[in-house]
Amino acid sequence: MLASWKARLFVGLSLSLSVVKASGEQFDEQLTIQSLRDGKVASTFSFKTLLKGVSPRDPRTLGAEDASQHYNVFPLALGQILREYAVTELHLSLNAGRWNYDRWGYPKEPAVGTGAELWAWMGDGGQVSVDHRWMGLRNALAGLFCASLGSLDEQRTTSPDRSFEPEGMLPDWGVPHRIRHATLPSENVCTENLTPFLKLLPCKSLSGIASLLNPHRLFDADWHGMGIHVLWREDEGVEVRLTFQSVSDPVRSSLGRKRDWSFRSLFDRTIDRQCPIAKTSEITVALPSEGSYSINPEPSVVNAGKASFDVATIDKPLDVALQWSGDFQYVSGFDKPITPFSVQRTLRGSSQAHGQLSVIVKNHQNSTQQVVYLETMPWLVQFYLHTLEIRVDGVRRDGIFSDIAYIPAVPHSRPATFQGILTLPPSSALHLTMDVTKSFLRYTEHRPDAQRGWDLPPAVLTVLELDSNTSTARHPVNPRIYTSTLLVDMATPDFSMPYNVIIFTCSLIAFIFGSVFNLLTRKFVVVRID
Amino acid sequence: MSSSRIRSPSKFTLEFGLAFPLFAAARLVLSLTNLPHVLKYDHQLSSPLTSYLNLQEGIYLFKNGVDPYSGGTFRHSPLFLSLFTTILPATGVGSSILWTLGDASGAWALVQIWRARQRISSSQRDSLIAALYLFNPYLFLPNLAHSTSSFDNALMLFSLMFASQGRASASLLVLSFLVQISPSSILILAPVLLLLITSPVSRLASPQPLTSSGVQFRKSGLLLVEFIAYFTVFTLISALVVGNWIWIPQTWGATTNLPDLTPNTGLWWYFFTEMFDHFRPMFLMVFSIHLFMYIAPICIKFQYDPLFAAFLLIGILGTFKSYPSLSEPGLFLSMITIFPELYPYFRHPIITALLHFHASLLMPLFNSLWLNQGTGNANFYYASTLVFACSNGAALIDCIWAGLRIAIGEEETGYTVVQE
Repeated sequence: MLASWKARLFVGLSLSLSVVKASGEQFDEQLTIQSLRDGKVASTFSFKTLLKGVSPRDPRTLGAEDASQHYNVFPLALGQILREYAVTELHLSLNAGRWNYDRWGYPKEPAVGTGAELWAWMGDGGQVSVDHRWMGLRNALAGLFCASLGSLDEQRTTSPDRSFEPEGMLPDWGVPHRIRHATLPSENVCTENLTPFLKLLPCKSLSGIASLLNPHRLFDADWHGMGIHVLWREDEGVEVRLTFQSVSDPVRSSLGRKRDWSFRSLFDRTIDRQCPIAKTSEITVALPSEGSYSINPEPSVVNAGKASFDVATIDKPLDVALQWSGDFQYVSGFDKPITPFSVQRTLRGSSQAHGQLSVIVKNHQNSTQQVVYLETMPWLVQFYLHTLEIRVDGVRRDGIFSDIAYIPAVPHSRPATFQGILTLPPSSALHLTMDVTKSFLRYTEHRPDAQRGWDLPPAVLTVLELDSNTSTARHPVNPRIYTSTLLVDMATPDFSMPYNVIIFTCSLIAFIFGSVFNLLTRKFVVVRID
Repeated sequence: MSSSRIRSPSKFTLEFGLAFPLFAAARLVLSLTNLPHVLKYDHQLSSPLTSYLNLQEGIYLFKNGVDPYSGGTFRHSPLFLSLFTTILPATGVGSSILWTLGDASGAWALVQIWRARQRISSSQRDSLIAALYLFNPYLFLPNLAHSTSSFDNALMLFSLMFASQGRASASLLVLSFLVQISPSSILILAPVLLLLITSPVSRLASPQPLTSSGVQFRKSGLLLVEFIAYFTVFTLISALVVGNWIWIPQTWGATTNLPDLTPNTGLWWYFFTEMFDHFRPMFLMVFSIHLFMYIAPICIKFQYDPLFAAFLLIGILGTFKSYPSLSEPGLFLSMITIFPELYPYFRHPIITALLHFHASLLMPLFNSLWLNQGTGNANFYYASTLVFACSNGAALIDCIWAGLRIAIGEEETGYTVVQE
């Protein structure tokens, strides 16, 4: 009786699954684990939902009734936001920690800037302006992900189209597309952001790869971050990719300096059952190139130094483990940068009024590289472009920085956008310095922890592939490199005495005013002293 | 060196023709040292509206095709922008010479005003006046910091000089240029117009209403029209240079809206840093109007000596304007030298001098403690600017007192002078 009921349920479930697939929605999940050179382990979760054959909303239809949204797998909460504000492409990332490009190389997911970063491509035109929709978008996302994205206001919003080109495609509606980009480096990712993130997944964290997303372990990692990416491709449809990256340190948590890891040690969980909705559910482990190791259980496929596990077919509970025979030893040159160039950005000077921005870009290759350098600086720190100086290996050079596009900051409203192309000579260190002035804020503009200082967004560097045929048509093909964020010490007024200041200043003015008018209105007379 | 000379004016008998080039040369030597590069960062020597760094940034942006008025850094007049991008040098030795020249011409104009007031072609006092202008630390430190307020001061003095010499068009032309680059200088317009229809000669000791001396007020109306015409032409030139009208809120608007709260020696910056947001527009209006409230009473009371009225209004500007630096109060203090008749009647000169001494020691100290050392707090510097405002106010009250008291003359035994 029970068995037949189960069988009927199974048939019903598989029928409903076939409906989902027929209606053009597809869900794939993937986990990639890689041991890094310094003994750390990078895990990248990727949950991809594809809404086949659907286009983003044309902003000119915003006034009219929208088509009804009926999804089986696609997250409705996100879908509603995308339709409401007619967003073509959206990227939100919430990260904590600094991605160490030199040791870890490029990340699987490029958006690793510290704090919150949101950028979206939206079609211009229609009744509602791009900026208005951008405001609605960030507030809606703030509500959805329980993050302070509402603070990504016009004081943080820029339009750096050269560094943030769309990853998907932009529909050809005959209207231009605009980018809006904002970062909030002081925003941290935490459990309250992961919970709504998991809610967007069809299997939540109950089954499949997502069951490994254990907040206790993920937020204990050296580096962790989540991302929500929405893009559109003409031949596929709208794709939502939810990602979570973490870099854990097994060497730190093991007593014997071992870099062995398993699902149990990394996430304190195992995969007990598959997500029935997932079309593919794959775990990829990058196999070490040296040393003797063993991997358990036996991978489904081993190909090109990568072991793959198909969660659907493999025995469960699944606890993938990689074990080395010896203790972990730092290999010589583990610190040698593996990215083609590395960046170091600092804000120098102890004064609360002035400072100097210093950026050192080291080219590790034997050929000239061109990178797009982007600063999106809030008005708290204003650039003195006339003091911009570039030295290559200590020698001052001109013509290294070209195609400069600069939108100056406006106090109390707009950040500065500073963009240009740096030509890095082969195997050299480029040192860019620029004087900056630190603004003085109204006392209401300071945040509650005013003495801590302000986090400044990371600069973004994007490699331009040098095209041998044409020197003008260039597209960023490599991932972006985010510099570390900066903490700027702003001068603070005294927060306890606005009344006192108003009273002191007004009294003084009244005193001088009174004295002057006393003299001007009264006559001098000679009086006999009796 | 300079202070010892100030204290012993009787020994000071250098010929002006010899002394003046000597002083100017000494100033040039000072400005050719490394001092300008050190001082240009100081907030007390130049405000955001007169800062050399901001001027250079604006010139750089303008030359590189970015509208300098689209941002919040550059707030100098388009006239400065056009002059410095074309004929005037903005960097290096050229700028040192230019700024020294600005102060030297200001000193020369001050001497000319003195001569016009005394109706003499030269005097023993000329060199002293020039020295007290060129070596007033409130004036030469901003000049070494290459603050454009040095040019404001020079233009102010030139306008008064031409007015004292009765050259109406030149005076109004210079004044309209000055108002373009420093809008709050419009305060001087009324006394300049009065000065043009009367004379700069001191009548403080024998006050008489203007109406009794048969002055043609109708002429001042024509002069006002002339001023407006010059001002309009300069405005149009500015618009032509920039190509749009954004520069008006960026330059003139800044003096009333106070977008940049960088500390300076005035009263506005901390008041509006600490101001509640919903009261900000109201107090901005009050502070702006407050400046203009002094024009009519001072001009009416001292109608018989408009040069003195202008001098008092310069003192008002130095105390109450929105983006002052040390050079505005400095101009007022240096101008005291051309009114020696006041000296016996000052009300409390020692207190005023001590207040200035006190403020000028405290301000740089507390500014550095707050912003550079990080051991002080904003209130320290605010308190020292309050002392500075007290000292400026005290000097102003001293001068008004003396200017009125002088009419009574010396006190005789058995009598006393009181205010009615």
